[in-house]
Amino acid sequence: MASWIAMAPAKGRDVEQAELRLRLSASLDLARQQLIDATERGEGGRAALGRYAESIDGIVRELVERARSQSRTPLAVFAVGGYGRQSQFLHSDIDLLIVFGGPLGRPEERFVKALLHPLWDLRFQVGHHVREHTDFDRPDTTNPEYLLALMDLRPLAGDQDVIDHLDATLKASADVWRPMVLDALVTLTDQRHGEFYDTLYQLEPDVKDGPGALRDVWAARLMLRLGGDRRGGVRGASPDRLREAEEFLMRIRSGLHVDTGRNLNVLSYELQEKAVDRLGYAGPDMRRRVEALMTDYFRDARSVTRALGRVRRAALPPLPTPIRLVDDNLMCVVEGINFADTSKATSEPAEWLRAFEVAVSRNVPVADDALALIERELQKHNYQPEVFLATAGHQIRLLQFLRPRPGLAARLGEMRDCGLLGAIFPELHEISCRVTRDFYHKYTVDEHTLLTVRNAERLLNNPRFASILHEIRTPELLVLALLYHDVGKAREGDHSIVGAEMAVAMTARLSLGSDARQTIDFLIRQHLKMSRIAFRRDTEEPEVVRQFATLFATEEHLKLLLLLTLCDVGAVSPDTLTSWKEELLWRLYVDAYNQMTMGYGDDIIDRDQALVAALQANRPEDITEREMATFLEGLPRRYLILFSHEAIYRHVRLSRDIRPNEAHFFLEKKAEVWELTVVSLDKPFLFSNICGVLAYFGMDILRGHALTSLAGLAVDVFEFADGDGFFERNSMGRKEFDRRLDEVVSGRTDVRSLLRSKEGSVLAKRTLLRRTPSVYFDAAHSQRYTVLELVADDAPGLLYRVSRVISDHGIDVDLVLITTEGQKAIDVFHITQAGAKLTEAAEASLKADLERMLQEASEERAPEPRDS
Amino acid sequence: MKLIKAIIRPNMVDNIKEALGKLNIAGMTVTEVRGHGRQKGHTAVYRGREYEVSLLPKMEIECVVPDASVDEAIKAIIGAARTGEIGDGRVFVMPVEQGYNIRTGEKDV
Repeated sequence: MASWIAMAPAKGRDVEQAELRLRLSASLDLARQQLIDATERGEGGRAALGRYAESIDGIVRELVERARSQSRTPLAVFAVGGYGRQSQFLHSDIDLLIVFGGPLGRPEERFVKALLHPLWDLRFQVGHHVREHTDFDRPDTTNPEYLLALMDLRPLAGDQDVIDHLDATLKASADVWRPMVLDALVTLTDQRHGEFYDTLYQLEPDVKDGPGALRDVWAARLMLRLGGDRRGGVRGASPDRLREAEEFLMRIRSGLHVDTGRNLNVLSYELQEKAVDRLGYAGPDMRRRVEALMTDYFRDARSVTRALGRVRRAALPPLPTPIRLVDDNLMCVVEGINFADTSKATSEPAEWLRAFEVAVSRNVPVADDALALIERELQKHNYQPEVFLATAGHQIRLLQFLRPRPGLAARLGEMRDCGLLGAIFPELHEISCRVTRDFYHKYTVDEHTLLTVRNAERLLNNPRFASILHEIRTPELLVLALLYHDVGKAREGDHSIVGAEMAVAMTARLSLGSDARQTIDFLIRQHLKMSRIAFRRDTEEPEVVRQFATLFATEEHLKLLLLLTLCDVGAVSPDTLTSWKEELLWRLYVDAYNQMTMGYGDDIIDRDQALVAALQANRPEDITEREMATFLEGLPRRYLILFSHEAIYRHVRLSRDIRPNEAHFFLEKKAEVWELTVVSLDKPFLFSNICGVLAYFGMDILRGHALTSLAGLAVDVFEFADGDGFFERNSMGRKEFDRRLDEVVSGRTDVRSLLRSKEGSVLAKRTLLRRTPSVYFDAAHSQRYTVLELVADDAPGLLYRVSRVISDHGIDVDLVLITTEGQKAIDVFHITQAGAKLTEAAEASLKADLERMLQEASEERAPEPRDS
Repeated sequence: MKLIKAIIRPNMVDNIKEALGKLNIAGMTVTEVRGHGRQKGHTAVYRGREYEVSLLPKMEIECVVPDASVDEAIKAIIGAARTGEIGDGRVFVMPVEQGYNIRTGEKDV
């Protein structure tokens, strides 16, 4: 009140001013109450804020009129900032610019006080600038915030000459200050985003200053005004969408001012619950209602962020850059990959993916123009997924596109934003901007999903996990599983199960084979399992590891689940995957891997277990219950997980009437590789001889299993590549193969003489040694077997050489796991000598011979194996 | 008041939370830590290569309890975290001079 008294010494004037204060205060209270009422109705948006600003305008105008007597200098008062835009929130500051048409002196100072003091007494926070009109002849470029404030100049009161003069001056000098303001805006926007770690995904977002919030709406509009359209059209930055987002954000912010009674703009957990009531969100419980509110919030914030990004890119001056045609209808321009012929692109939606393929291969973005075209066309046409997956070629291309590489997640993000990802994978629509309300999920479900893919890319540079990712034969399945692992969150029920069910349609559309479908299903269903066990169970307890290992049909599944878990945990928030958690996951992986490769031999099939019961229940008529039981007796339990029912029934049939020195076998082509199944009665050199026959025909063994029952029945399954095309080139090739295999297994032909007879035999082939071979014995994991693990460069005939050396030592090969990972062969043999584990001396002798053989095979002509 | 600091196996946190909850001790700080005591790590073998695991992942739980509740709290922690094997962890007790509630500014009694 002191200011009023200071300005009004006369008693009669005191009364007059007290009356004015009361009147203005009443007028302001009424305006505030109207804004509060509108806000409580959920209507505290543009219209209500505009009405409130108009009420303040009236107060300012009256005070200007009354203060005019203090100065004879021409003047004008302008609203700037949010008030200038008529977006005046309940507890926001009002910013004023006071411009005088002449030099500033005591009278002008009195005018300013006469205007501002009453405003302060009305409890306004007033920001003000006082300037002479000549100040605008050379804009103050040292104060970017001030320059930006001038962009929302709105005359309120004063002399029209001053208003016109300022307008003309600013227009005349626009070329000078416009680029400066644009630079300042970009810098300030970046700084502001930096304060929020450059992500719009905040659990408690600031609806004014946060990325994607109200200040970004204003920044997008201003950049458009300042930068214009230097590239011939800002596509995709829909003004209507921006207005919708702004209206929603305004209503929320108005509510925050009402709830807190202050200029606070953070939509905290507590205030989110108040906002849902005010904005009319219905639902069964508060959690769901808040999730719906925040889903809408993030959808709008994302729209604003995209619009700002596009406007910003369009506002920058184009760089002179050569335009290169990089594909039939794609060109590389400065913004990224664009369509060369838009009408052709419009008519060929199935080819849109090609733009993203090329962009990933070059690690550049897809240009805004191309994204806008796709977005527009998708809005026009209701394209079904089949349009994009019309042929096997399109399906394969999509799978290849999904292999983890640098830039994949960014391109998938572009596909999501323009709608293409949802068109190809419609199940993903359901998690768009979906929020999980808890204290640790920082991102919406769809953003979390894309971050998991980004994490998969980053694993490629992880010293511990990159090699595991490289070993995966079908890494695209990892990305597919990541894309779908949380889709179930959109529906009621256990999201792991619901998600797996939702993925079935996708795997069918992609025509995935049964193995791939099972892998996707397994990964989605079990995607929480590994973290739960690693972080909550005592993994030093062997039984916990043993149980965990039984989840997996193959080591590949274990690796995929490890990688998926790392990607998933790391995408919950930036701090969730600590090195501590990473260590726990790694240790569980190693223990489970060792259990699967070295410890499974002791775990014999139990007649009563559920898997046996299922096999018996589905048994074909030609196989008796007794025959089935006899066949399974003494085989490792892992056999039941490794093979399908159909494969097991086939093995049973192959085992019928088997006699010593006989081999019953079955050869079939599976996609790109061949699979050989041999059932025989175990005997020395059996495994080595089969490997020798495969080597004789130049076959490259990729994977396989050899299992021997306690009764001596051996089931050997080899997956191999016919790199030289022997079977394709020779019409009688398969008969020849069958004959040779039969001769060798029966002992009628010595495999060594067979190999010697062949020109360029594997026995004579040398390979370049890239890594030191590792020969490791483990006597602890299995009670029954010594486990020999060998890791070496893959080479023709390697498995034959190794198994031959083992057999030459009089050692029995009971179980074998064969794996090839790129150029690396990993073979695990469960071996015994005279029915017992190897002695230390026997281990040392075998190790020395194996290492010698591996060294010699890589350096010089391989030695002849010793006679058996 | 006493500060109880317990270094435990990672999978024992829920057990201890539950045990302390029964004593109406709800506030605690949980931190991921690594270290070793007598359980000096071990060697893990993966594909024939040995990895030294010298610092083992553990959890550290800190809670401040009134003097009268210290013995009960320690007993509850040990009972909940014990497996009998090496590596179960340690419990330390330290005096606390004062404590304040930041929101209200009140001093803990």
